[in-house]
Amino acid sequence: MKLLPTKKSKQDEPEAEAAPKPSRGERLGRARELATHHGTESSIDVAGWVDSRTNATGIFTAMMSRHVPKGTNWFYTLGSATMFIFAMQAITGVFLSMYYTPSATQAYASITHMTNEVFMGEFVRGLHKWGASLMIILIFLHMARTFFFGAYKYPRELNWVIGVVLLILTTVMGLTGYLLPFDQRSFWATIVANNITASGPVVGPYLADFLRAGPDFSATTLSRFYALHMMVVPGLIGALIGAHLFLVVKLGTTAPPWIRAGRPKGARPVETVEAGLPGDDLAEVSVNGAGATAAATDGAEPTAEAPLEEAPADDAPADDSPADGAPADEATAEAAPEGGDADGEGADGEEVSS
Amino acid sequence: MLPARQYTCGRPISEAVSDPLNKNTSAGDEPRIKLPEAEPRGYFEGESMTRRKVFTVASQAIGGVAGAAVVLPVVGFALAPLFSRGQERWEAIGSTDDFNAETYRPVVFTEITGIGEAGKTTAYVRRGSAEHDEDPNEFIAISTRCAHLGCPVRFVQAAANFICPCHGGVYDFLGKRIGGPPVRPLDRFQTRERNGQVELGPRYSVTNQLKAVRVRDPGEFTGGIWEYLYPPRPSTFPPPK
Repeated sequence: MKLLPTKKSKQDEPEAEAAPKPSRGERLGRARELATHHGTESSIDVAGWVDSRTNATGIFTAMMSRHVPKGTNWFYTLGSATMFIFAMQAITGVFLSMYYTPSATQAYASITHMTNEVFMGEFVRGLHKWGASLMIILIFLHMARTFFFGAYKYPRELNWVIGVVLLILTTVMGLTGYLLPFDQRSFWATIVANNITASGPVVGPYLADFLRAGPDFSATTLSRFYALHMMVVPGLIGALIGAHLFLVVKLGTTAPPWIRAGRPKGARPVETVEAGLPGDDLAEVSVNGAGATAAATDGAEPTAEAPLEEAPADDAPADDSPADGAPADEATAEAAPEGGDADGEGADGEEVSS
Repeated sequence: MLPARQYTCGRPISEAVSDPLNKNTSAGDEPRIKLPEAEPRGYFEGESMTRRKVFTVASQAIGGVAGAAVVLPVVGFALAPLFSRGQERWEAIGSTDDFNAETYRPVVFTEITGIGEAGKTTAYVRRGSAEHDEDPNEFIAISTRCAHLGCPVRFVQAAANFICPCHGGVYDFLGKRIGGPPVRPLDRFQTRERNGQVELGPRYSVTNQLKAVRVRDPGEFTGGIWEYLYPPRPSTFPPPK
């Protein structure tokens, strides 16, 4: 049924002499355009090649062009700010490790060397040092925003839990990083922190032994803290930030509490499902504001057939002959109810409307 | 548009969708047309598990074994220091004539090797005094590690007290707590006499009655039930008799 109009228009083609027949080159060009449009063939630049294989643009669009609720304000940037600081800490940390020696006898000397003698060393180390404090501050502000805006509630509880783990891991980063300069302050601060750990009953003494790599602060303690600070904890933080972001994109953000809940612009009407319907009346259940029966009685074909109808129409070069009489109208009448819903931007729809 | 039968208000779909073979059968009747019961998909006769399931379980088990073969040794590698005890170390700190029973003399010695200056610690050493029921031929070495959080304490001669600069812990002449937040007396070091020299050995902790126990970290109580709440660690040396 669907194929009929295009077949008819093909038959009509000889009659419409006025429309020049597209050359082979033109037809190939059109085919390639369509293939590109459908994603089966991308344009030949590198970005397009990669994009067609990774859907990078689609993922980027899904992440960045999300709907956000009314009232979204500057407080919603605190999470991104924290993530930026984490990235800064990762980058500066990797470069600091080029000059740092994780040895109890050489650590302090390597720190003073990189701070006082290496070009820009003081700046890079300063970024890392002050960034650590800033990250803790931003995390707590971000956490306060989430708490006071009620953004930890269903369905975002898991994201709150992940956030708490991230907070703990960040403080572990602070603890392990504080020792690395290995001056008097960092040494004694670590001693005290370890002893606080040890004062937890039952597991405390063993946990402190694990952190210190033995019953006392020793040469291995510094290496252990360095490994935790450089590899273990940042890896965990990175993975958990990924999960955190995934859930943010998946679940969306909440409106501030002072914004009244309402239907966002362009949203579908609320579903109404009445309870206790007899089995025979299923067709009358209102779905998305429209009677389910309406779809059946309109005479529209099931949507699953839409691509079948679209594909041959695209391939046929005669489809763009506007001089068609009744067959073209038929096509318009049938294409309109379907095309208007989802795939209105298709090339087919544009041509029919013209 | 979603198919209408998804909106069945909680009733199972099987109830809502009538059996097309037995349209005119009323509820409760034996269906007139019966199809042979379908075999579960993928099962052969007598099987309790599909091949797909077998391969799923087997491949995950093999993956788990391979993962464990890597992870378990690595975890053991990281936890090893909890269960290994280092070499007992003794260091001579001076002649026996250098110490008397009336007051302490500070000595600096290396408690942990391999970390340079950070491994050195200070102990206050004196000869045992009969006044405190101690053997005059023994030596008492008090650690400067505060029993609160490990800051270094100082012996104040005028008060004959050990005083911690961090949080105000105060200990008497014997190292017993008399003020501030510390939870037990100051730790001690084992002492012995070799060739006219006093030697300091491993650290040990004491209870409030000055009974020697295995060393505990600062902040951990000793004696009584606390011996179970802060269990002795296998990485520490046994206390002296």
